[in-house]
Amino acid sequence: MKTTKVTFHVNDEKVTLKVKPYETLLETLRERLDLTGVKEACSMGACGACTVIVNGIPLRSCLVLTPEVDGTSINTIEGIGKEGNLHPLQEAFMEKGAVQCGFCTSGMILTAKALLDRNKKPTKKEIVKTISSNICRCTGYKKIVEAVEAAGKKKAVKSNA
Amino acid sequence: MILPKLEYKKAQNISDAIAFYESTNGQVRYLAGGTDLIPLVKLRLSTPKAIIDLKGIEELKAISRRRGWLAIGANVTLFELKNNLMVREYFPALYKSLDVTSCETLQMRGTIGGNILQDTRCLFYNKSLEWRTARGLCLKMGGEKCNVVPNAKTCFSNYCSDNALSLVALSASVRLVGPQGERKIKLEKIFSGDGRYPFTLAPGEILAEILIPAQRSKGAYEKLRVRDSIDYPLLGVAASIKENNGKVSVGGIGSAPLVYNLKNLNDRTFKEVAEKASAHAKPVSNTTLSPAYRKKMVGVLVQRAIKKALMEGK
Repeated sequence: MKTTKVTFHVNDEKVTLKVKPYETLLETLRERLDLTGVKEACSMGACGACTVIVNGIPLRSCLVLTPEVDGTSINTIEGIGKEGNLHPLQEAFMEKGAVQCGFCTSGMILTAKALLDRNKKPTKKEIVKTISSNICRCTGYKKIVEAVEAAGKKKAVKSNA
Repeated sequence: MILPKLEYKKAQNISDAIAFYESTNGQVRYLAGGTDLIPLVKLRLSTPKAIIDLKGIEELKAISRRRGWLAIGANVTLFELKNNLMVREYFPALYKSLDVTSCETLQMRGTIGGNILQDTRCLFYNKSLEWRTARGLCLKMGGEKCNVVPNAKTCFSNYCSDNALSLVALSASVRLVGPQGERKIKLEKIFSGDGRYPFTLAPGEILAEILIPAQRSKGAYEKLRVRDSIDYPLLGVAASIKENNGKVSVGGIGSAPLVYNLKNLNDRTFKEVAEKASAHAKPVSNTTLSPAYRKKMVGVLVQRAIKKALMEGK
């Protein structure tokens, strides 16, 4: 079958690829670009483990065909912080012990990042509502919510400095 | 899960999409947010040769007020619609159903048109191909017998859109554009009542717009669910009231919503509606809660929705 040429930015790097028209964004990111921080779990759009941020919006990459994201800007967990200069959410997840098996973590952090980007001071209720988009089968939700709350405060301090 | 081989085409406008539909003998599916379609294709419940992406069509993305209607483009996302001020102020039933649809992330991807035209669901249908073949194909899969109700002549799969219920309660209409031209019909007329083919849309027709009469209303939406996020309604009830009259719509049970008019509302009349709805609802063992419980909850939620709608603003 004919391949389609797509161009997009991943973590601020321009990428041009030839992909199969029925290839999902999840497959492209993991298998072609080695961005294995994007996790595949249910593959049906239910769990949120494969969440990436596309043009500022959190998206389940298992539900998206790669040709659909032509021309967009994508952020994955690999692109939001560097070792030694982590994103406040990554720091807070470590400090609060919000990681158990770790499989849902990248999706959780990206969903939370999209929330903090559009709402600087989310209430606990808002955080719970947003985080309920993702499933943690270790059921470690309490610490995750605490971590997002802490990161929100940290981020506020950083942007005021 | 890997998708089957298919072509992808991005349409620039509605006529472009319809022309492509016609050129492929109808073996294509229209794609909006994909939150319903992609899982169906992955499970081989839908087997199109190609997918036509409608997301690039500008006219399907607009929300505008014209001649006594609020016109909502079918590709407006649920999240965007929820944050529309007019929806919040004029159509509280719709605001509430949008707010409880699935979860935030999926609201940001899913569109109102796709939400209305989502396929009906059944615990014995939305399964992998291997599971379905082992069990024996059901009526909705083109088989001979229903896997839920022995000797059933029709399919009892559940229509699980939250927002179609509130839109029906708000007396919304839809504008459809297809190979045979354009038509405008009442939203409740798009349901066939047969779970095998739940919609009356003609082949190739595109849901272009949802039109709601632009009058202020009081309203509520009650949803029976187990997780409070991501899940489909096991029963949904929308109530919308203007002055002393209104409409109630019940869904999540069977392949089409039940609709009741509310006239001269008082304690007696709305108990009557609740009893009628509960008697009409035909839940079967095709989802996670028992049919008896869901049937009982129809009456409870109808009363609760009407009471909440009446209480609004007080």
